[in-house]
Amino acid sequence: MLSSIAKPFAALALAAALISIVLAALGASPIGVFAALGEGAFGSWYACADTIVKSTPLVFTGLAVSLAFSGALWNIGADGQLTIGAIAAGAIGPHLGNFPHAIAIAIILAAGALGGAVWGAVAGWLRARRDVNEVISTIMLNFVAVQALSWVVHGPLMEPSRAYPTSSPIARAAQLEFYFAPSRINLGMILAVALAAACYLLLFRTGAGFELRAMGRNRRAATFFAIRIPALTLWVMALSGALAGLGGAVQISAISHRLYEKLSPGWGFEAIAVALVARLNPLGIIPAAILFGALDNGSQAMQRTQGVSPELVQVIQGLVILIILAFDTPAWSGLRENIFGAPHDAAAAAPLAEMPDA
Amino acid sequence: MLEAFLTSAITMATPILLAALGELLVEESGVINIGIEGAMLAGAFVALAIAYFSGSTALGLAGAIAAGVAINAIFATLVVNLAVNQVVTGTAVSILALGLTGVFYRKLFGVTGKAFMVAPIAKIPLGALARIPLLGPVLFDHNGLVYFTFILVPTLWYVIARTRYGLRLRACGERPEAADALGLGVIAIRWQALIVSGALTGLAGAFLTLAYANTFVENISAGRGFVALSVVIVGRWNSWGLAAASVLFGAAMALQFGLQALGTVVPYQLFLALPYALTLVVLAGFGGQAAAPSALGEPYRRP
Amino acid sequence: MLRANAITRRFGRTLALDAVDFEALPGEIHALVGENGAGKTTLMNVLAGSLAADHGEAVLDGRRLQSGSPRAALAAGIAAVHQSPMLFERMTWEENLALGGFDTGAGALDLDAVAARARSLAAKLGFEMPPAGATVENRSVAERVRLEVLRALSFNPRVLILDEPTSVLAPSELAAFLDLLRSLRADGRIVVMITHKLAEAIAVADRITVLRRGRVVARTTPADTSEAQLAGLMIGEIVTQPAASAAPPPSGAPVLLIENLTLDDRTGRRILDRLSFRVAAGEIVGIAGVDGNGQTELVEVLAGVRRPSSGKVTLHGGSSGAMAVIPQNRDLDGLILDMRLWENLILARPLREQVTSHGWLNVSRAIDLCRQLIDRFRIRAPGPETLAGALSGGNRQRLEVARAIASRPRVIVAHNICRGLDLAATADVHRAILDFASAPSGGAAVLISSDLDELLAICGRLLIISRGKIRETSPGQRDPERLGLLMAGARD
Repeated sequence: MLSSIAKPFAALALAAALISIVLAALGASPIGVFAALGEGAFGSWYACADTIVKSTPLVFTGLAVSLAFSGALWNIGADGQLTIGAIAAGAIGPHLGNFPHAIAIAIILAAGALGGAVWGAVAGWLRARRDVNEVISTIMLNFVAVQALSWVVHGPLMEPSRAYPTSSPIARAAQLEFYFAPSRINLGMILAVALAAACYLLLFRTGAGFELRAMGRNRRAATFFAIRIPALTLWVMALSGALAGLGGAVQISAISHRLYEKLSPGWGFEAIAVALVARLNPLGIIPAAILFGALDNGSQAMQRTQGVSPELVQVIQGLVILIILAFDTPAWSGLRENIFGAPHDAAAAAPLAEMPDA
Repeated sequence: MLEAFLTSAITMATPILLAALGELLVEESGVINIGIEGAMLAGAFVALAIAYFSGSTALGLAGAIAAGVAINAIFATLVVNLAVNQVVTGTAVSILALGLTGVFYRKLFGVTGKAFMVAPIAKIPLGALARIPLLGPVLFDHNGLVYFTFILVPTLWYVIARTRYGLRLRACGERPEAADALGLGVIAIRWQALIVSGALTGLAGAFLTLAYANTFVENISAGRGFVALSVVIVGRWNSWGLAAASVLFGAAMALQFGLQALGTVVPYQLFLALPYALTLVVLAGFGGQAAAPSALGEPYRRP
Repeated sequence: MLRANAITRRFGRTLALDAVDFEALPGEIHALVGENGAGKTTLMNVLAGSLAADHGEAVLDGRRLQSGSPRAALAAGIAAVHQSPMLFERMTWEENLALGGFDTGAGALDLDAVAARARSLAAKLGFEMPPAGATVENRSVAERVRLEVLRALSFNPRVLILDEPTSVLAPSELAAFLDLLRSLRADGRIVVMITHKLAEAIAVADRITVLRRGRVVARTTPADTSEAQLAGLMIGEIVTQPAASAAPPPSGAPVLLIENLTLDDRTGRRILDRLSFRVAAGEIVGIAGVDGNGQTELVEVLAGVRRPSSGKVTLHGGSSGAMAVIPQNRDLDGLILDMRLWENLILARPLREQVTSHGWLNVSRAIDLCRQLIDRFRIRAPGPETLAGALSGGNRQRLEVARAIASRPRVIVAHNICRGLDLAATADVHRAILDFASAPSGGAAVLISSDLDELLAICGRLLIISRGKIRETSPGQRDPERLGLLMAGARD
């Protein structure tokens, strides 16, 4: 238990060290940059609130990615699924003016989930029935989604005055309101946390979740136990897409209220870092998302005061993923055993105390 | 008209094919490198930066090779030496490269977005061959990188299928434990494949900035590295198949401009999406992994 | 002379080899015997360089061998034929051999020259070669063994180590193989044969070394010992193997009915050919056959992993959940090593349903169930939360058998259920199967195996599978030689 928390911390520490090197190469001050990040993320009440707001889409996409990854389905397409969900929400949003508030919210969110589910299901179907590598298919679908968004905001969903490439604003009834003005805190985060709990229960307390994890660990063995891989693949990818799409709908409903190009600054990729820091545990997604949301929030301050462009956050994401992966290898645990001695807990032991002798 | 389209198709196909050929070597050795997009981007950026500041295209190309190799070396350390999950590592490497190129681009060239142009690599028309009607300009009036790629196709085919080295390479991708038991040295061979691939992919990136766009924009590779991965699959892990598939995708990309120029009613986004959608369709038809090297993607560690 | 001095090797907490000294002379066949798990394969891997020793060294002709380098071992003249396949399936046999020593390494790769050299060596040994350009994946098991031996010999090794080479051969091919070993010995090479089959060791070896739990417990010669004595040395304790009762098989409605099961692979090759047989309640039916005659595919069809081209499988008195399958590849197909014991247990759908209500998984109930089974089946494990990978091979198999029996199936189908197990685990597994079959609830078992002795001891009825076809044997027919010929495909 302790080691499962210690590892991400150690990884982050190492990432911070490597980032400092990059910053030095750029002629920026590492201390200054980290201070700016911290200040921008948590320096004021409003900053903290905005960190929560910026973390919300990461919870949705992080859940999407960790669920799929738990089944060894490498969903790199959370960005595209979120985008399509947002498009669905943005398309139906303007027409919800006459609905009661709660119903309108339910509809717009359902639309987002459905849109994302469809986008995820395409990749799921391609994998299940055509043996197409989902890494490639989801990445391709990302690009298609970007163009779809561009098309709708320049075309069929374009706002009536046709002055700007955005869609019509969604009806007030469909907007998630803010609490604690002037902050932008909304119900989206609450929904995200509830979903995280639900995903945890699904993964570890249901038969379906068990089958998902079994498929993820050993696909072939799963087939020997009548676990139907094609069907499972399809619904996991659809569910994953739905979660991401829901995130898109929440963004539209709460924050942007309309569609425009470049809706997602890469939440789908950031979600991979979030999922790995959380070690694919849905409950861990929440603190991991807040961490990366803080980085996103702080990066604007960083740009303003230190002159380092926000892309640095992507460098951090990439490094964090690589370091965590490196720390997870048996090579590392072999080294750790040499330093700290073999673990006492048999359950935590590295696999295969077995000799290769038949 | 047709000539311009076909020439454009070859031009668009080249970086994809170059990267795909490198990836072919890597996959034959049993590794799948999603970081190919990152290596291409790194090559593109470094080539432009060095060519711009030094004035020398050759130095730019050399820099691109070094950048591609460096990116792949990070990947290789994790995936070959530490036997880490290849898909996630590759994705992380691509994200990292995207971030690094973005950060350093802003630092070096400012935020103004002013296009920093460099002179394109010179074209080398091949004399009489270039004068053949239609085929001439399409095939024989390009820069050196294109010809290099042409030559690479049969060369790699020969190396992989007919040489001793190719045999060892394929053995690593087929059954690494057996290859190691025969003393072939799986780790060394996979490293070599990744280094060569890094060089080729870096060059592919350099093509984008030095020969095609003559400048750098953020994420200039726009998924071409990922398209290269599909090309390897669609081409059934065979150099000639890769060439055919690359030309197909190059044509899809060239189509964008041709049809935009026609000013049709169809939205331009459809054409921008076309190569990616086409990849999906082709993979749906021909995307099976049945022809893949048996141990592709499986982490391997010596006991 | 090949000598190993005080070789020690650990895996995690298990001591696989404990200061082992071993010596083999030129012009001798040296048998290394021990039961499964004794450390024989580990020692071979150390000598062949694929594994580094923690302590100790290997010396060949006075020169110290570099540890952990297969290339150094091959260069020094040690070649090994491993128990698990080490051929490259998708490549042609010429390419496979070219990766051995038939390729001179100079000039361009010349596969024709490689083939020619291979053929001439094969002729000397009395081997038949596959047709030119054939890939390995369609070759029979016996052909593959020959190709591996050829590849090893292509290095012109001073030392040839063979790990359980006869386990995949039909009884009729055994004699020829032992002759081959003798001719290699006549060349002045050192031949080390690793085996757990004592009769063969005594038949062909000049000297025998016995390993038990990673230590050398005896060094002897065939003249000075007997099978019984060797067996005693190997296991060091009395283990009674249970045997089937002599009672005639119960007649009754069939529990499992297989009718005209046919399977063609994607190249059109017929793997299962109108397979038909039936199993009645309380029976233990053995299906004997040399590996590669369709057993694996039959198991896959019965487990539902593969769909047959035609034919019918009928289970009486229940749905498909009423058949429990124990596949041959227990680590890859039967268990998920990264998951805990209780999680592996509920992989079986009937057990999962027991601990699930309305889709909700009751984890504590699953853990309790696991604890009960650990006790009942004597699985040596720290607890239900242990990772399956932390268990030894014998205990993993006990877990699989426990899982199969606890899911209350009508039929258990097991493929090479005791391969690679030590005698204690083998006895436990056999006992569990016998108890299962004789229980009043009327379970039945189908044991598919290449080990004729095992089947003769346990099974009431014996079937032979050969080239995807099943043949019955007459009830009194228990002669191993005769059965061996049938297994090899002879007509009756």
